[in-house]
Amino acid sequence: MELFELLNFYVIPGIVLGSIYALGAVGITLIFAILRYAHLAHGDLATLGAFIALAVVTGLGVSPLVALPVAILATAAVAVGIDKVFYEHLRERPKIVTVMASLGIALMVRSVIQVVWGVDTETYSRGIVRPEDYFGLRIRDREIYTVVALIVLVGGLQLFLTRSKWGKAMRAMSDNPNLALLSGIDNKKVVMLTWVIAGGLCAASGFFLGLNTELKSMMGWYMLLPMFAAAILGGVGRVEGAVLGGLIVGIAEELSVLVIPSEYKAAMAFVILLFMLLVRPTGLLKGKVL
Amino acid sequence: MKTKILALAAGLMTATALASVPAHADVKIGLLGGVSGPIAAMAPAMIDAAQLAVQQVNEQGGIGDGEKLVGVVGDSACNPQNGTDAATKAVNIEGVVGVVGPHCSGAVLAAAGSVTIPAGITMITPSGTSPEITNLEDNGTVYRTVPSDDYQGRALARTMKDRGYGKVAVAYLNNDYGTGLANAFKSEYVDELGGEITAFAAHEEGKASYRSNLAELAKGGADTLVIFDYGDGTGLTILRQALENGFFEKYVGGDGMKSDAVIKELGTENLTTFVSSSPVGEKSEALDIFNEAFKGVGGDPDAIFVTTSYDAAFLLALAIEKAGGDKAGVAAAVAEVSNGEGETILPGEWKKAKELIAAGTAIDYKGAAGDLNFDAKGDVPGTYALWEVGADGFEVVTEMK
Amino acid sequence: MELLGLVNYALFMAIFICIYALLALGLNIQWGFAGLFNAGIAGFFAVGAYTSAILTTAMDPDRIGGFDLHFIVGWIGAMLAAALVAWPIGKICLRFRSDYLAIASIGIAEIIRLVIKSEPALTNGARGIASIPRPAGDIGYMESQIAYLAIVLVVLIAAYILVERQFNAPWGRMMRAIRDNEGAAKAMGKDVEFRRLEAFIFGAALMGLGGALFAHFNRSITPEAIDPMVATFLVWIMLILGGSGNNRGAILGAAVVWIIWSVSEIATDRLPHEYAVQAKYIRLFLIGLMLQLVLRFRPEGLLPEPLRGDLRSTKPGADR
Repeated sequence: MELFELLNFYVIPGIVLGSIYALGAVGITLIFAILRYAHLAHGDLATLGAFIALAVVTGLGVSPLVALPVAILATAAVAVGIDKVFYEHLRERPKIVTVMASLGIALMVRSVIQVVWGVDTETYSRGIVRPEDYFGLRIRDREIYTVVALIVLVGGLQLFLTRSKWGKAMRAMSDNPNLALLSGIDNKKVVMLTWVIAGGLCAASGFFLGLNTELKSMMGWYMLLPMFAAAILGGVGRVEGAVLGGLIVGIAEELSVLVIPSEYKAAMAFVILLFMLLVRPTGLLKGKVL
Repeated sequence: MKTKILALAAGLMTATALASVPAHADVKIGLLGGVSGPIAAMAPAMIDAAQLAVQQVNEQGGIGDGEKLVGVVGDSACNPQNGTDAATKAVNIEGVVGVVGPHCSGAVLAAAGSVTIPAGITMITPSGTSPEITNLEDNGTVYRTVPSDDYQGRALARTMKDRGYGKVAVAYLNNDYGTGLANAFKSEYVDELGGEITAFAAHEEGKASYRSNLAELAKGGADTLVIFDYGDGTGLTILRQALENGFFEKYVGGDGMKSDAVIKELGTENLTTFVSSSPVGEKSEALDIFNEAFKGVGGDPDAIFVTTSYDAAFLLALAIEKAGGDKAGVAAAVAEVSNGEGETILPGEWKKAKELIAAGTAIDYKGAAGDLNFDAKGDVPGTYALWEVGADGFEVVTEMK
Repeated sequence: MELLGLVNYALFMAIFICIYALLALGLNIQWGFAGLFNAGIAGFFAVGAYTSAILTTAMDPDRIGGFDLHFIVGWIGAMLAAALVAWPIGKICLRFRSDYLAIASIGIAEIIRLVIKSEPALTNGARGIASIPRPAGDIGYMESQIAYLAIVLVVLIAAYILVERQFNAPWGRMMRAIRDNEGAAKAMGKDVEFRRLEAFIFGAALMGLGGALFAHFNRSITPEAIDPMVATFLVWIMLILGGSGNNRGAILGAAVVWIIWSVSEIATDRLPHEYAVQAKYIRLFLIGLMLQLVLRFRPEGLLPEPLRGDLRSTKPGADR
């Protein structure tokens, strides 16, 4: 096979898909690290973000890229609200209780989306966008936006986590909660920040999925399992690990068609994950042991 | 707290019991559909189409002795668990005379096997295409208004061969609908007609990218892609990514692809080489009448499976009228009101049908999705046409035989 | 007629509750007593359902079997097959802790689902298997429901008694010891790995049996039935809400959750006619909300795990 064909039809779509997974996986990995449970409403929260952006696009008639920050902020606010109303009082309980609560939240969020926006398939803009040719590489503008957004958002997050006071507090909570609490870190603020970041990234993930394909009320739910696989693959609690995991899952899914029947494409993420857990149980980049 | 929960459950049960006491002597039919779950995008239009039939019946004198026909919506969620649950509620709590739906074959098989066949309730599914439904031991109570995949797959293969399509690649959704159509198409196109299929691959629903699938499909050098999928789901994503990257020149879809979502999202100008098959009656005026009526209530006649849904509901109403409110007689009556013999009834002609039935004249319903005319297994032979995208939506190119 | 309908509906719900209770019991062995976070219930459910379907249906040239055996053979076969599938999975995956096991098991369940869906020679592919015989299925509607309920009730009670006895036996104490303090149990000379695998396989066998009962009740099994939401997450909700570590809690949880799940539709049907479709979306919202309320006010479950005299105030193993 030609190199360009491999790049154009397998690797580039894989990178784009991987970027979308990665945006969601970063949030999942942060919640895992700081709050220590699997958040099953993550996919549906991503759908919500995508539809909020749609509301802005159709309501104000602006370009989708302008709607993105609005969707990020709104979804972050929703995520914080959900935490305050539903998860906060379960904090002292066994974590499995919160996992179940998040499953209920997933149903509730999806129900709100279906009531408010209906169930029809939607897009941000009508028609199709043919890819541009960059020295033989065929890339669509929105694919560039997706990858750039991933780099900017995750880069910003990394800076925040390593440089700012609150970012360091979050990392401290992730590494050793007892020590962090003893040294006077405000738990509530850290939790809130976690939700702001997770919710915002979630919205971005849903938005770019919608921008690259279509918006459907179930789209986030279908993304949930690959996103979890990516988060665990990269090592729990490692932001750059989640990005790496997302990209690997995305590219592997696209490349898998070359070797296995295409109906098994969805299994690829799990095969990699199982293999990885066997040879390196803490993830690619050494993550926390849960 | 436990007592509270139990009290709450008991309260709900009581409310149910109270609510189920009929207000008037309404005649109820169940409209079971996959409202939540994977086909959530398709279900509302299908239910609306069935409700249109109910509305027409009520506007034109009601059923039986001027009683009101009521469509009770149930959520079968496209899985057997919810499907049987919804069917049980419809049959036992609402006391329906017949059921339109469920939409997905798995739910149809389970609901028929554990609820409607034992209870002797007539079921007409508008979209359950699995051949397993044909083989059910149903005492003649299970019908479908959508032809079995076999008819359509083969008809499409013949039409394509006639129209000079050469090497094709086939992409199909990995469920009973896609698999059934694809296999029927393949056996006719390759084995009977000597055509060439260069690639034949299933895909899972709900993925964000199918470009690598498409690249694999394109490798064999086919210029045509045949898609058996739903136009407001994965099928749209596949068609979009194929068009954007120019993997193929021509695109052909099954009836699931004849969806307004395709035109709405991709734009007419991009769909010049796209054709799709869809059922149509020999008297295509039946379809026109339905289209007008459905537009009149704000529906979109190009949505998937709306014609079959409408036919199922209208047919069920006719059968109930014919059976004179006798639950057990409805099943036999369904075959009687559409067997190719008798006065022709077109969609919406409830008043005429009612008078004819009262006079004891045989009637023959010619539906929006075809003439129906059930065989002994409760299946219908399909009549199909090939559609292209024109300025005002889908237009017929040619009849398919 | 109305009353008869209500009875029929209640019978139907009772059958479903019994089937789900079996799944919840199986999960209780794995999670409630051994602390294994198995999120792949759907996989074992499917293996059981399909095994029994293949063993008991009539010959079909398009796939393996149709062996036309008695349903009892089918059900035993379902348990054995689920246990057999669970063995290598447990062997490989039980070394992962908590959430890792969860994601690994969910992945395996997805792979099982894809195989069932894509291999027509094995399972008739996406079309599923129909015409599965239902015990006592040829009598009237209500009679056959009563008969089937009696059968599943006997199975459930038998399973409950067996599991309950095991739990109160030294084996149960050992399992809880392993769950709550693995290191101490190991130091006492218990073979932790083996015992975990044991619990995993027993639980899986019960799940397989649940799947078989489900397939025979519906006389069909299709890949649509192994959706993670209705076959995995719903069971988890039942167990956690009912009270993990308590067998009666698991059964009660199955009853309460299924009643909420089913009856909520009738409640939302009271909305005006124009909103008939929207009502179904609101129903999901109500289900989610009910779950939140129960978890809020009863986070340890409706019937918490009995303390059995060992005065544990915290359960370190259970908070993962």
